[in-house]
Amino acid sequence: MTDEVAVRIRGVSHAFGEQGDTRHVRALLDTSLDIRRGELLCLIGPSGCGKSTLLSIMGGLMEPAAGTVEVGNQLVRGPMPQEIAFVFQENALFPWSTVIENVKLGMMFQGVRKAEREKRAKLSLEAVGLAEFAEHYPGQLSGGMRQRAALARALSLETGILLMDEPFGALDEQTRMVLGEDLSVLLSRTDKTIVFVTHSLGEAVFLADRVAVFSARPGTIKEIIEVDEPHPRKPEFITSEKFTRIRNQLYSLLHDEIRKAVSQSAASQRAAADKSSRGAQP
Amino acid sequence: MSERADRDRGRWASRAVQALFLIVLISLWTFATTLGHVSPILLPNPLAVLNELIDVLKSGEYIGDLRVTLTELAFAFAISVISGTIVGYLISRSPYAIKVLEPLLAGAYSVPVILFLPLYVLFFGLGPPSKIALGATISFFPIALNTIAGFGYIDKIFIVSARSMGASNYQLFRFVLLPAAFPVILTGLRMGFTVALLAILGSETIASLAGLGHRIVHLAESMDMARMFAYITFAVAIAAFLNAAVSSLEAKGKR
Amino acid sequence: MAPAPASEDMLATRDALATREVTRRSFWRRAQAFMLVRPGLARLGVIAVLFGIWEIAARFYVDKMFLSPPSSVFTSLHKVFLTNGVPAALRLTFFELFIAFVLSIIIGVSVGLTVGLNRFSHRSFMPIILLLYGTPQITILPLFILYFGIGAASKIAFGVTHGMFPIMVTVIAGVQNIKPILLTSAKSMGASRWHIFRWVIFPHMIPSFFSGMRLAMTGVLLGVLLAELYVSTAGIGYYTTLFTQNFDPTKLLGLISMLAAMAIALNELVRRAEVRFSRWRSD
Repeated sequence: MTDEVAVRIRGVSHAFGEQGDTRHVRALLDTSLDIRRGELLCLIGPSGCGKSTLLSIMGGLMEPAAGTVEVGNQLVRGPMPQEIAFVFQENALFPWSTVIENVKLGMMFQGVRKAEREKRAKLSLEAVGLAEFAEHYPGQLSGGMRQRAALARALSLETGILLMDEPFGALDEQTRMVLGEDLSVLLSRTDKTIVFVTHSLGEAVFLADRVAVFSARPGTIKEIIEVDEPHPRKPEFITSEKFTRIRNQLYSLLHDEIRKAVSQSAASQRAAADKSSRGAQP
Repeated sequence: MSERADRDRGRWASRAVQALFLIVLISLWTFATTLGHVSPILLPNPLAVLNELIDVLKSGEYIGDLRVTLTELAFAFAISVISGTIVGYLISRSPYAIKVLEPLLAGAYSVPVILFLPLYVLFFGLGPPSKIALGATISFFPIALNTIAGFGYIDKIFIVSARSMGASNYQLFRFVLLPAAFPVILTGLRMGFTVALLAILGSETIASLAGLGHRIVHLAESMDMARMFAYITFAVAIAAFLNAAVSSLEAKGKR
Repeated sequence: MAPAPASEDMLATRDALATREVTRRSFWRRAQAFMLVRPGLARLGVIAVLFGIWEIAARFYVDKMFLSPPSSVFTSLHKVFLTNGVPAALRLTFFELFIAFVLSIIIGVSVGLTVGLNRFSHRSFMPIILLLYGTPQITILPLFILYFGIGAASKIAFGVTHGMFPIMVTVIAGVQNIKPILLTSAKSMGASRWHIFRWVIFPHMIPSFFSGMRLAMTGVLLGVLLAELYVSTAGIGYYTTLFTQNFDPTKLLGLISMLAAMAIALNELVRRAEVRFSRWRSD
């Protein structure tokens, strides 16, 4: 991890819905952040606080209402497949292609030459431990294996930046643990810059070099916590005193924000129910 | 495992009932026409039907009518596939267009399109074109509707993901949209085929100069019962064969 | 070099033009937003356009012998009604549809329940039902006419054979698809066989039955109309043949429109019944 800045986020704000509409939601408010090259940064916060929105904006999938994002001195205006790769929470593997075909498709979209694709695909599948399942279809794999395949596809694109939006969110606890450890091992071998959105405190502390804690809506970065522990992180780290201390710190930062977010969503649900009971729209 | 033995026994028993059903049916039929006093003008003897069927097949008499029917089917289906998929794809590109036009198409399909036959006969005459027109009209709808469903409801995550990897418009269509929509479109094609065949046979029955449907009507009018039954059997067999072929193609296409 | 100072007149004109530009732009923006929330209106617009194309094509491009513009069809509707025998034929057709539909339900439900409730009879008879459902019944239409004559009986019979299968199949499905946990739970509370049928199986089957009714109406419409069109010596078929042979597209289109309207109304009726009775279904 260097001090060089990979992604520069300045004053990003975003909202959904029209001003004055009851559905108007201010997702992000004036967020600024410098992401260092080679670090793994976790974004953590209560539901609806805008962390996934920020990730989409970072990756050029969305245009912010205000503010800028720079990646390596270039302003982000749209997807940058050469620099940024995504791993989504939903399974985005194409169900009609095999695992290795999925990986090769990604490279074809990016523009990798045909001869290169086979080689890189095999390498990345080995790196995530799926070499044996290259010819399987996503439907034949478990959730954890599907996310490994999605990761392999992202890795094969050989981008400098990897954005992961709650990639293990749909998986059970045990699979998450295993995947988290494997991810840590993988990352120690590369020098990618990774931004990782998660809900799980333990996951954030275990994986991240820094954790950015978000406030409830409208989301903004409340505090950034450093986790000073070299990669690859050992499983023993989880039971260490340092881990517990940082985790507790995160918990106390988040607790109030989570409560706030829950009452916000209850209020908006009540508002929506009132509106719909008042009469259906044409 | 005695549970499996029970299940197998059950399966055997039900097969036996089906076989029995068939046997009883044919026996009653034979009995009614030989020893019973059902006139052959009403119900021909099954043996007579079989003889006529063999005669029809051997003499090749069926070829002319079969060719007419199949040709009409081919043209009608080709027209509806091309127009249905293109119209369906164009509509699917805009969620607003889907919202406006899909209910219209579904509504139009719910009207018995057979009503258009007299119009087509007036316009095109009694020859094949009116049958082709009706077949194409009827089968257009399931194909178009399924194409809209196939392309219009693709999970957004696939498109976002492909775009994030730099896919061009052509790459998006060829490697994401098309394979995603394909199974649904295939079902639509199968439905369109089935419906086209029925429409063609139906219009041949009602107003035609040739074709399998017409042949059956002609034999009915000349009271040639045994031969008519033979042709009915033949037509049903052809329809069953074609539908089975199309269904297996559909299944194979979906892998 | 500093720009020349603008005169007051120039400023006023520029402002006026700008306002008009904004109003024009916002008019289209508002019209777009208006149409976006009202797809129903857009649909009516599409239908109007289609009728317009029909009108223009029939008036200026196609021979009067083959196609009639909707305006003429509409204004001549009463003439179709005045034609001797047409109202009677329409009434008869409606009557046939009604009877065929009712009979389809009665037969479909009885057979469906008999086959569906018993595992053995389901396994034995379901393939037979599916086989019959899948055969092109149109091939035996001439037989029906031979056996039942050219009157209402054959049309009703042909309608019933088309309409009873969807009901059979959906009733069987509704009975068979009950989650076993519901039956187990009822049994654990001491329900008798009759209780289970009346309070678990029957209510569960109702939505399937109604969707079967919708398909049955489609089938009955198809069967009855096919039979009617086939018989060219009586009923609707006589008049369609007559108008066709006389090259009278106006009357033909009028007759077809009325039949189509009948079909749409009946379909809509059944569809509404289905919606109303399927409210508990979450799927």
